[in-house]
Amino acid sequence: MNKFLLFLVMLPKALWRSLGADIEQLKWILSVKLKMDDRKPLGFSRPQAQKKPSKYTSALTVVVTFFTGIVYIFPLFGFKDTMLALFAFYSMMLVLLSFMLIMDFSSVLVDTRDKLIIFTKPVNDKTIFLSRMLHILIYFMRIVLPMSLPAWIVWGILKGWKGVIWFPIPLILLVFICLFVVLGCYLLLLRLAKPEKFKDIIGYFQIAFSIIIFASYYLLPRATDNEMLQQMTATQYPWIRYVPSYWLAACWTWVEPSAAKLAGTQWLSIAAVLFPLAAMWVTIKMLAPSFIKRISAIDGVEVHVPNMKKVKKGGSKVYYWLANVLNTTNASKAGFMLTWLQTARSRTFKMRVYPSFAYIFVYFFYILLSDNRPFAEVWESLPQSGTYLLLLYLSSFAIMNAINFVTISEQYKAAWVYYSSPVATPGHILGGAFKAMWVKYYLPFFTAIAVFVIYIWGFSVVLDILLAMVNVTMFALCILRVGYRHLPFSLAEQIKTSGAKTIFRVIFVFALIGGLGIAHHLIHFWWLKLLFLVLSSIFLWLVWDSYHNTNWKSIRMAEDAL
Amino acid sequence: MQPIITINSLSKSYGDKQVLNNIHLEVYPGQVIGYIGPNGAGKSTTVKILTGVIQDYTGTVTVGGMDLRDNVLEIKKMIGYVPELAELYDLLTPREYLSFIGKLYHMQDNLIEERMTKMLDSFGLLPNIDQRMDSFSKGMRQKVLITSGLIHNPSIVILDEPLSGLDANAVILVKELLQRLKQEGKTIFYCSHMMDVVEKVSDHIILIDKGTIIANGTFSELRGSGTESLEQIFSKLTAADNLGEKADSFASAISNKNS
Repeated sequence: MNKFLLFLVMLPKALWRSLGADIEQLKWILSVKLKMDDRKPLGFSRPQAQKKPSKYTSALTVVVTFFTGIVYIFPLFGFKDTMLALFAFYSMMLVLLSFMLIMDFSSVLVDTRDKLIIFTKPVNDKTIFLSRMLHILIYFMRIVLPMSLPAWIVWGILKGWKGVIWFPIPLILLVFICLFVVLGCYLLLLRLAKPEKFKDIIGYFQIAFSIIIFASYYLLPRATDNEMLQQMTATQYPWIRYVPSYWLAACWTWVEPSAAKLAGTQWLSIAAVLFPLAAMWVTIKMLAPSFIKRISAIDGVEVHVPNMKKVKKGGSKVYYWLANVLNTTNASKAGFMLTWLQTARSRTFKMRVYPSFAYIFVYFFYILLSDNRPFAEVWESLPQSGTYLLLLYLSSFAIMNAINFVTISEQYKAAWVYYSSPVATPGHILGGAFKAMWVKYYLPFFTAIAVFVIYIWGFSVVLDILLAMVNVTMFALCILRVGYRHLPFSLAEQIKTSGAKTIFRVIFVFALIGGLGIAHHLIHFWWLKLLFLVLSSIFLWLVWDSYHNTNWKSIRMAEDAL
Repeated sequence: MQPIITINSLSKSYGDKQVLNNIHLEVYPGQVIGYIGPNGAGKSTTVKILTGVIQDYTGTVTVGGMDLRDNVLEIKKMIGYVPELAELYDLLTPREYLSFIGKLYHMQDNLIEERMTKMLDSFGLLPNIDQRMDSFSKGMRQKVLITSGLIHNPSIVILDEPLSGLDANAVILVKELLQRLKQEGKTIFYCSHMMDVVEKVSDHIILIDKGTIIANGTFSELRGSGTESLEQIFSKLTAADNLGEKADSFASAISNKNS
């Protein structure tokens, strides 16, 4: 698969050469990077991925991505106006792909780990930039291809063989638009920001950008009324001619010129072709030079002359105090402190986890507004609705995301320290790490939600809040106990499965926690809620006890299952 | 003779910390320069500037008559670099890694193959040529790294702790190798903390501390009329004279007598 994709991305050799890349070096760098991705170890104690990645997993990834793609076929037959249907389809794809690019792949662009290996060789900036961009593109295509397949099939059924032949062309343009615009923005930031601060700025930029994309995707006024969709035409929304996804839709006029209702649509299809080319030119010709200089400077963290007076004893810090109060064994204290400190300083962790806190509110309002009533009306009728449970259970998304990423680190090799220390029960480290995550991320967040819920719904829902908190904690621990007993920061990140994993995670967590929330919703009597609270707490204690006492054998079994 | 490397007023800072402070240096072809200094003195920063990794510095660096800022690719072609900390793609085999490096220098396949086979054979690493390097010992990786720094036959060789992790025989081999490279007219920039080796292999020793060159000359010039070893000169110049006391204090922290 990789060889084929490498062949594909190297097809426009002349283009890459004209942009300033050294083709031979470019090809070698890419093939070496792909080879290494295939051999990447899974974690500290699994130094070599001995067996080839199982065909079953890859096939499953393709199947899941394919099914995710089914969601995107609805606009294609939801609208009567072909242009609007394609506009909606491309807009959705554009948002999703940009989102994936920012969340999962952009770290490849600003990676500084191999600077001593490649930057010291006579390789120019453009070759290095293009090698990273094409590396991203290869993984990107592995997701885009199966994801767009359902839409391709539907388009073929609706429009015949011409539709089948036409379909991939705008899609390729779309991929290039996403790639160059997003990566171009990164390069621009890299130029404008102070290099030492770049990673922090990029982290916050990613958090902000992903929230905006996510919010606009879910919260933009949606017309779910089918009849209304049927009657909508592009002429009602003349502003869409300024949006790149409409330019892509305009390419359909090559096949069916009469489909365009909006004047000048055919001309806009030229913009669809020129825009990615222009973005590519600007990105590579204007922004990529001095790429090496900027990237190297990223690592030059700002150093301040140490001040002896500032050296305080560790004991005076909050985390230190909490670690001692909340943990009984030294191993759990160690796990607690390490997790507390690392999560505060690891940019990768912050980038992956912080946006999920905002998503919860976005999801909440998305569901609230999905029946097309005005916001003021929805807000007024809020106390009469039972939607607070939704908000309380959605909080699980944040903790699940946080505990998922707490095991992953670029410095996974440093996990040797767990194995060389005389730790009899590694579960204590796991337990300490879980407590740190719970206290640091979940508790304040859940408290904020609880305050909001009590403000709107009153004190009568306190029992529900407690039950939801216990249930979500229990649920998170069950997931950890059953399938995710990994030591903190001990696994390497796998670019191979990045995009698909995000999808998997969301679907799985939502299905299970949704069930739990619905069960809670069905309980009407307060005494029954109290009973469930007691039962849930007992169950939570049992799961905790088992997780906290995880032995080395179970840790190895979890590693083997990777 | 024209110097092959000329460094003029070179400075570099990270935030408010000055890492290199107005460095002036001239290196002549065929010289072996021992570049020494305590941890954090600015050795690695100098090397990273010379190899084109760090490009935002003040001052001028000229290599082979070319300004480093304007001719970074041309200069990189002349340099062979062996970084410290065994930085290499250890998921590849030596054959794959060395072919990759050779290709970055636009070398022909047969030339890469011929040189890597010879070089690895000298290091006794030929039987491991198709094994992934993640299972290699530190010394084995170091041998591959040295090979990768020399495979394109550079005229300037920059070695950052090249003997780290090597066994005694390999150390002798590399020291011999340095003499051969010198005889061939190559310039060697040798950064190390191993004073006895620096003392033996270098024609010229540069001692850097807190970003400033504090000594520059041949070993006999540095020693003057005394009989001190380089290690003793180093300690004296970098003001680390109470090392015995420090060791006592360190050991007492874990001493059973205290607990």
